[in-house]
Formats: sequence, C-alpha cells, structure tokens
Amino acid sequence: MSDYILRVKGISKSFSGVKALDNIHFDLKKGEVHALMGENGAGKSTFMKILIGLVVPDSGEVLLEGENLSGSHVTETLKKGISMIHQEILIIPELTVAQNIFLGREREVSGKGGILSGWLNDSEINRQAAALLDRMGVNIAPKAKMKHLSVAQMQMVEIAKAISNNAKVIIMDEPTSAISEKEVATLFQIIRDLKAQGVSIIYISHKMDEIFQISDTITVLRDGKYIGTKRAAELDQNALIAMMVGREIDQMFPEATQPVGHELLSVKNLGRAGKFANITFNVKSGEILGLAGLMGAGRTEIARAIFGLDHWDEGEISIKQTPIRARTPREAIDRGIGYVSEDRKGLGFIPRMSVKDNITLSSMNNHRKGGFINTHSEQSVTEQMIADLKIKTAGTGQHVTYLSGGNQQKVVIGRVLLASPEIIMLDEPTRGVDVGAKFEIYKLIRSLADRGMAIIMISSELPEILGLSDRILVLSKGKQTALLSKAEATQELIMRYAVA
Amino acid sequence: MNRFSKFGQYGIFLAFALICLVLALSTPKFFTISNLLIIGNQVSINALLAFGVTFVIITGGIDLSLGSMVAVTGVAAASFAHPDTYPLVVPLLVGLGAGSAMGAFNGLVITKSKVPPFIVTLGTMTIGRGLALILSKGRPVSNLSDEFNFIGGGNIAGIPFPIIILLIAFAVCSVVLNKTILGRYMYAVGGNEPAARASGIRVSRVKMWVYTICGLLSALGGILLTSRITTGQPNAGAGFELDAIAAAIIGGTSTSGGTGTMTGTLIGALLIGVISNSLDLLNVTSYYQQVVMGVIIIGAVVLDGVGKKD
Amino acid sequence: MRYNAIFAALIAATLLAGCNQSSNKESADGGGKKLVIGATMLSMQNEFIVNVSDAMEAKAKEMGVELITVDAERSALKQVEQVESFIGQGVDAIIMNPCEVEASSPAIKLAMDAKIPIINVNSETSAKPTAFVGSDDTESARIAMRYIAEKLGGKGNVLMMHGFMGQAAQIRRDNGAKEILKANPGLKLLAEQTGEWDRAKGMSLTENWIQSYGDKINAIFAQNDEMGMGAVKALEAAGLKGKVLVVSVDAIPDALQAVKKGTLDATVFQNAKEQGGKAIETAVKAAKKEAFEKDVLIPFQLVTKENVGNFLK
Repeated sequence: MSDYILRVKGISKSFSGVKALDNIHFDLKKGEVHALMGENGAGKSTFMKILIGLVVPDSGEVLLEGENLSGSHVTETLKKGISMIHQEILIIPELTVAQNIFLGREREVSGKGGILSGWLNDSEINRQAAALLDRMGVNIAPKAKMKHLSVAQMQMVEIAKAISNNAKVIIMDEPTSAISEKEVATLFQIIRDLKAQGVSIIYISHKMDEIFQISDTITVLRDGKYIGTKRAAELDQNALIAMMVGREIDQMFPEATQPVGHELLSVKNLGRAGKFANITFNVKSGEILGLAGLMGAGRTEIARAIFGLDHWDEGEISIKQTPIRARTPREAIDRGIGYVSEDRKGLGFIPRMSVKDNITLSSMNNHRKGGFINTHSEQSVTEQMIADLKIKTAGTGQHVTYLSGGNQQKVVIGRVLLASPEIIMLDEPTRGVDVGAKFEIYKLIRSLADRGMAIIMISSELPEILGLSDRILVLSKGKQTALLSKAEATQELIMRYAVA
Repeated sequence: MNRFSKFGQYGIFLAFALICLVLALSTPKFFTISNLLIIGNQVSINALLAFGVTFVIITGGIDLSLGSMVAVTGVAAASFAHPDTYPLVVPLLVGLGAGSAMGAFNGLVITKSKVPPFIVTLGTMTIGRGLALILSKGRPVSNLSDEFNFIGGGNIAGIPFPIIILLIAFAVCSVVLNKTILGRYMYAVGGNEPAARASGIRVSRVKMWVYTICGLLSALGGILLTSRITTGQPNAGAGFELDAIAAAIIGGTSTSGGTGTMTGTLIGALLIGVISNSLDLLNVTSYYQQVVMGVIIIGAVVLDGVGKKD
Repeated sequence: MRYNAIFAALIAATLLAGCNQSSNKESADGGGKKLVIGATMLSMQNEFIVNVSDAMEAKAKEMGVELITVDAERSALKQVEQVESFIGQGVDAIIMNPCEVEASSPAIKLAMDAKIPIINVNSETSAKPTAFVGSDDTESARIAMRYIAEKLGGKGNVLMMHGFMGQAAQIRRDNGAKEILKANPGLKLLAEQTGEWDRAKGMSLTENWIQSYGDKINAIFAQNDEMGMGAVKALEAAGLKGKVLVVSVDAIPDALQAVKKGTLDATVFQNAKEQGGKAIETAVKAAKKEAFEKDVLIPFQLVTKENVGNFLK
C-alpha cells in the first residue's frame, strides 16, 4: 500500500503577483480515494489544472510513477493516465455515447491501417463502448445520443471515457452536484470498483457526508497553502471544518429567537399535470419550512409555480387568506413573494452587471425619479445591503462574475430582500458555496425568519434541512409524503418518506 | 485578462484615433473643418440607425428591418411633404409614426410568438420593402417643400442640421440607456433573460419598447435621408441595417447581449464614415473600402471575444 | 405543424406571384383568338423600367392583346424560370427585359427551342433573340460627354460617377464616355468612382470630391440621373453649382425638373415609351409571323434647358 502513484512536491504558482498556490505537497497512493478539501479560493482548481497540464507551475514537480510530468501538455498527461471528470460535463450532445467515449481516438479504435485509417468503423466503436459500459455495470446504450441522457448518465460516460484512456488517476470535481441520491449510490459503487482495480481517485466535493463515506485520505488546502493530510477515519466533521476554515465553528445552525406568528402563505391541493399533485401546506411568520426530497420530486416546480414562473392546474394559493395566482414573477414580487433559485447562473444574477445593478434590479421602483434612476438612493441602499449581508466585493461597481459563489448567492438574496418580501423561497441556497459562507447564509436565513418573514427552504442536503427547519415537508415523485416537526424528524425518517 | 478587457473597452477609441492620425498625415484635406462637417453629415443617418439597433442588440435581439423602415418612413413622410399641402409637422409625425408602428409590430411578433428576432425582422424587412413600393407605386416621391428639405440639407450657424439631430439623438439615447430604469432593464434582459424575468422585470414590455425605439430612430434616419436627397425613394436604405449593426459591433456592443454603449456605437459609425470618406479622398476604389470594413468588423468582434474570456 | 407552415408559405408564394401578374383581359376587339404575350422585367423597383412596362401595357391594350407582366427582381435565375413558365402556358410571344448579359441568355434558347418568338427590350443578352428593341447605352454616354466637351470648349477637369461596377449599362456608358475623352485630349479625367446608381451615395461621393479637388472641378458626368441629382445637391450645398457642369443619363422626371430649373445642365433622354411600344408591336408581328425589324434602335435625345419643355408632361 505504500507505493505512491502520484507525488506532488513543493508546487507554487502565482498569478500576476498573487500567490495562488504556495509550496503544496500531495501524495496519492495506488487504489485510494483521496479527497481534496478547501473553501472556494483555497487553490483546489489551480492545483487540479496543474495536475492535468492546463497550468504550468512556477516551481515544484509532479511525479507520476516517478516520471516528472510538470510542464506536460493536457494531451500528454491524458495519455500518461491522468483523467478529469469536470463539474460541468464536457460532451457533444448530438453525438452518441460511443462516439463521445472514443472522441479523438477513432483511429486507434477503428483498428484499420493504411489507406482505410481515415475511415470510421462505427460498429467496432459501438462494440467496445458496450463492453466498457457493461464492465462498469451501467445500463446505457452505446448508440443513444448524449443529449437524451441524464446528468448522472453523462457522468458515467465521462468515467467510461477515462477508463478507456487507461487512466491511473481520475480526478472528480464535484461529481454529485447535479445528480440524485440514488445516482450517487451508483457512482460510489463504481468508484469502489475502480479502487479495487487499482485506479486512484482524487475527489473534490463540498458535501461533508459524502467525503466521509467515500474517501480514505483527506488533504486540506487553505488560502493556497497546504494545511495537512489525514486519514478519513481520524477526522470528524467538526475537525475537518476547523482545518478548512482555520477556526472552530461552534454552532452551525442558529436557533430561533422569536416565536412563530400568524400564517402568511397557504397552499391547498396544488397540482400541475406531470409535475406534482395535491400539495397542501402553510408557512407562518417567523417559520422556516424545509422542503425535502430527491431530485425530481417536484420541490423546485412547486416553488416556480408559486412564484409565477410556471403555471399550475389545480388547487389554491393564498397570501394572508387572499388568493393569488401570479402569472409572472413581477406579480408574485408585488404580492410579497421572493424566490432565490437553485440555478444561480441561469435564474439568479446577471453576470455582466455590477453588484449594485443586480441588487437593485427587483426594486427599481424605489429609485424612480420620473423615468430616471435616482443613483444616490440606489448607491446608499446597495452599500447598506453589502454591509448587512457581509458581501465581499471590491465595491458596488464590481461585476458579479468576479465574486465567489457564496457572495454571488448573497447578491441574489440581497436583490430579493430589497423588494421587501414577506415570504422567501430559497432553493438550494448553499449549493456550490463553501463552508464558511454556508454558515453565514444559515445565520442570515434564521435572522430573516426572526424578523417575521416566512421561509421556505428547498435543500438536498439533509443536515441543512434538519438543522435549520422548524417543520419539514417531504415529497416523493410529485406527492407529499410527510409533514414532520423538528422534534420528530431524523435523517432516516426523511429518507424513508423521500423514497416512498 | 484585465489587460485585454480594458483594451476591448478602450481599443475602439485608440483604433479610431490612430486611423484618424494616419489619414491626417496621408492627406491634408482630411483634417479640415469642412471635411469633418461633411463626415458628420454623412455619418448621421447610419449613426441614428446604429443607436436604435444598439438598444436592440443590448437586449440580445437583432433588427434586420432597419433599411426597409428607412424606405417606408421616407416614402410616407415624402407623400405629405409636397409644397403648400400640409404643415411640416404632418410629414414628420407620419414618418415617425410609421417607424414606431413598424418597430412595435416587430416587438409584438417577437414577444408573442417567441420566433427569434432574426427571423421576424427578416420578414418585416421584406414586408417593409413591399410596403414602400406599394405606397410609392414604385416611383420616387419628389417635389418636396423647402422646409422639409431643410432637415437634411440646411445649416444652423454653419453646422449642417443632420449633425445637430445626430448630437441630440446621441444625448437622448445615452440618457435613456444609462439614466433610466428602462435602460437598466435592457442590460438585464440581454445579460440574462430568465434571471431578469425572475427579478420581476416585464421582459416583453422591455422588448416592445426597444423595437419601437429602434423603429422611431429608423424613421428619423428615413426622414433625414429623404430630405437630404429631396425624394422619398422606395428602394432607399437597402443594406443600411448591415452598416448600422456593424457600427454597433465595432463600437463594442456584444452580439450575445448585455453590453454596449452609445459612445462606442457613435465611434463605430464615425469610423465607418471616416474610412469611406478618406478612401474617396485618396481615390481608392470602393472595392478596397469593403475589404477594410470587413477586417475592422472582425477585428472588433475578436477583441470583444478576448475581453470576455476568463 | 411543419408541413402546415410549408403549405402556407407555398400558398402565400402563389398569391404573391398572382399579384405580380397584371393581366389585361378587357376589350378583345371582336372575333379571332386573342394573342397572349408574356413579359419579364428586370425590376419593377426601377422607375425607368416601370415606365417601359407602363408603355407596354398601354400599347397592348391599344392593340387588343393580353399582356402578362412579371417582375424578375433583378434575378436572372428567376427570369429564366419565368420564361419557362411562359413557355409552359403556351404564350404567343415573350418580351424579356434581361437582368444579365450572360445569365439571362438561357431563356432565349428555351424560347427559341419552343419556337416562341422572344424579344429583348432595353438591354441585351449574349444569345441572340428573335428581335431587339432598345437603345445603345454607349451612345447615351457619348452624347453626354460630347455635350460636356462642347460646353467646356474641349478643355477642363472631369469627374465620372459609375453605376454598379460590372453591369452592362455601366460598362457601355464607361466605354462611350472614355471614347469621347480620348478624342478630346484637353479634357482630364480627375477621378472616377462608383456611386452605385444611388442618389445618396452620389451625393456623399461628390461631397468628398469637393474636399479633394475643390475649385479644380469643371464638370461631373454621372452615369444615371439619380447620382447626377445627388451631385447637384452636394454642389449646391457647397455653393459650387454655378461653376460645375453636371450631366447625367435617363431623363427621369426629377432630372427633367432639375434641367428646367437649371440645376442639372443636361440629361440624356432614353425613350421608355417608344421602347415599350415598339417591343409590343414587334412581338405581335413576330407572333403573327408578319415581317418585322430585327434590331429596333430607339435614338437617344439630349435634354437641355432649351428643349426640356418637349419632355415634360
């Protein structure tokens, strides 16, 4: 077990004077799952880019089976046996599974020489892809077009591609960020099989429970520095967080300080064909209602319907006993509903606009002077919000693209808050957010409830749901299967109802 | 990356200054007051159209019907501008009204049908051409009143009237884009339409406005052209949309939406005007002018792409 | 859905084609089968062509023949297809106002093969038709340039504004003008540039020329009236009109008005009415297998302030 397949010695890298990585060490054993942990900006992605040859380090070396790789180009490192499964999967949707797996290597696979070497041999490509997928134990047709696959299936194809490349080291960057719990189980089984075959995995994730489930070893980076490497068994969640954040977080989930008030939102027998049916719940002032369930259970769809992004077919939604049927988000916002989407890049912020312009976007009517914009009031409101939410930004004019995930999320929350909502729906509010910022977002959510707002929080992270919610609504396949109080809810119970 | 994006922002100004310098050195006739006024005059129509299409491109759309709108509005205005028939406001209102109506039609079809703007305005481009021919029965509408002809041909204190219109339009468009809520919403819609909608912006309404404004500015261009050549020509303005779009793109408006400035567009229009003016001064055939223009357009987009990269 | 859309498009196309055909069904002057003539015109967006077409229409009515006019919209391909469909309909004669010298030629062969007489009006094709009715563009430029030479006393600086480069009319008018320039060594061609037949472009071009050459310009020859009118506008604005001679070709109504006012010095009248009328006459004769002239050349006429009254309606 002591034979290291990959050794990284004293890597440093600066970008325009800023040290992104400072003397990093990293040793990977054959057949182990080695988690790489760190907050956003800790240097994980630069480190990965160096490993796969996208970035050349200033000093230090990368040794794969004793051979110095530093300075090699991507195509070389790939040939030598380092593959990466990217968070945003890189596929060509119009090609088939088999064509994607062997993309760029058709010539080797087709197995024809001489004058025929430029010809495709699709049947051979399909045969080899089928064999490969079979060996992995996944049920994907090699002739299926990529665009018809689920995210999880695409990931499997990427892994198959890595295996077909004879990868000795596979780097997985947030592989579970967009797949369901059940699919995670399949993925982990494949990782264990790969381990057994002697393939080493470098695993990057923000999800603590996954890290402890799958990894053998954990290395932590912080601010571009190497903090330490421990065996997973030696650590617990708090100790790991302490390593990552550099301080102890005594209490992850803040307690309510105000009693729950009167009902603000009530939903009765809400249904939309093919998406969800018979959904009934209410949320009160000062309360956090958690919406739990697997991917595709209909949680986001319910939120979208309430917010006027999608239509719904039956049932009733009321705010303070007055029925509402929002046809556009504008109507929902005007009635006091706010929605922070799970899809931050798609439905959240506007990348090419500044922090100020994003934050005030839903409440421009407060800054109207005739048809013109009152820049003064806009500026002061933005500065206040940046201070309130502790948004880390170079200024109100900074483009949102350049902020970290957590701060982008805060900008979106700020925008929603400035429209003075009474009911806020937060959909996966901490997705892609690092641990330190997560804690701040939890505090923020609780304080909003304490200020008398009604909160609906959708989350796939059970610890988050359990820690923060006052009541938990569990959904399964578009139906509501349980409404649990904080006292009775446990991780197991929620999971049982979520798969019911 | 910062270095490049800065260059993308200011590159157009630099390029413009550099080209002017080269021209001033190569022909003494370039840098004279009278020639600069002529350039301003020649640029005015394209600049007006370019302002309009800048709004549209910022919201992530496109308008190919500009040239046709120039023809329709020109012919419509000319029909009411014969001497001793109607007061001057009538042809102006008819022209501007026709342009706004066509623009609003574009906006309506685009927002209601969800057909891409490229296709819708391709359709209205052809419809407009037909309308102009129907209105004019295929013949130029000439014999226009002196007041009407003043718009495109007159001077105030030695400054051609079209330049004055251009400067006013530039000021108004800049204010609309930068100082009004509508302008802010345009950037938001083009920057990320779903997010803009989720932020409570009535996206359809913003688009309606944008296409209507574009039609209005095209009408202004159409009236200016008609007055300048003292006839309403049904086949006028063919290909104007491409010059206008080129000016916007050279000026740094991204075709993917969400960015762009009126100043950039004005410089883009000036650049096109300066090049065609100076190549005439140097007696270079128009074939080369087209090659030069193409190179500049591609160059501008390449710079824009470099600026966007991470 | 998709088929519906295609279907709708087809119907729309058919309707539009129908709009283009202005048929002339009134008044057959008793007895005998009415002759049918198909005409395909270069572009109904061009004023001169519209005038030719109107003259054809009037003549057809007068002679009691049915005339089907279609617009080729400057596309030679479309023109060939239109001639094909005329042949399919079994018309008695075809009149073609060719879009292009070469590309419209296949239409001639098609009609000849089908033994239907085909008459070219206004401009030529490389294939030889049954008959040609029109004027020689080279001559129009000769007339214009001769006038300039005469007015300047054979000495001075001239600028020439071309049409779309490479079109038959541009090439002929260029040849004609250059011929006269050669014969008058005292005339110097200061610069030449295309104004693309367009009034606004002609105006811009002239403004730029004024910057370049200023007082040195003695005369401008524009290959059509549109550009000539643009040149006049630019010269007037610069206060140079009195000093520079402007001559152009076509005698469109606007240009005639300008000649009358004295702003445009001369234009060359191309007789649209004669061209249209003679085209119909020749087509009818050919269809009835009567004798006809193979080359009907309608002469150009110089229009100046002295005789402009004859051309104004």
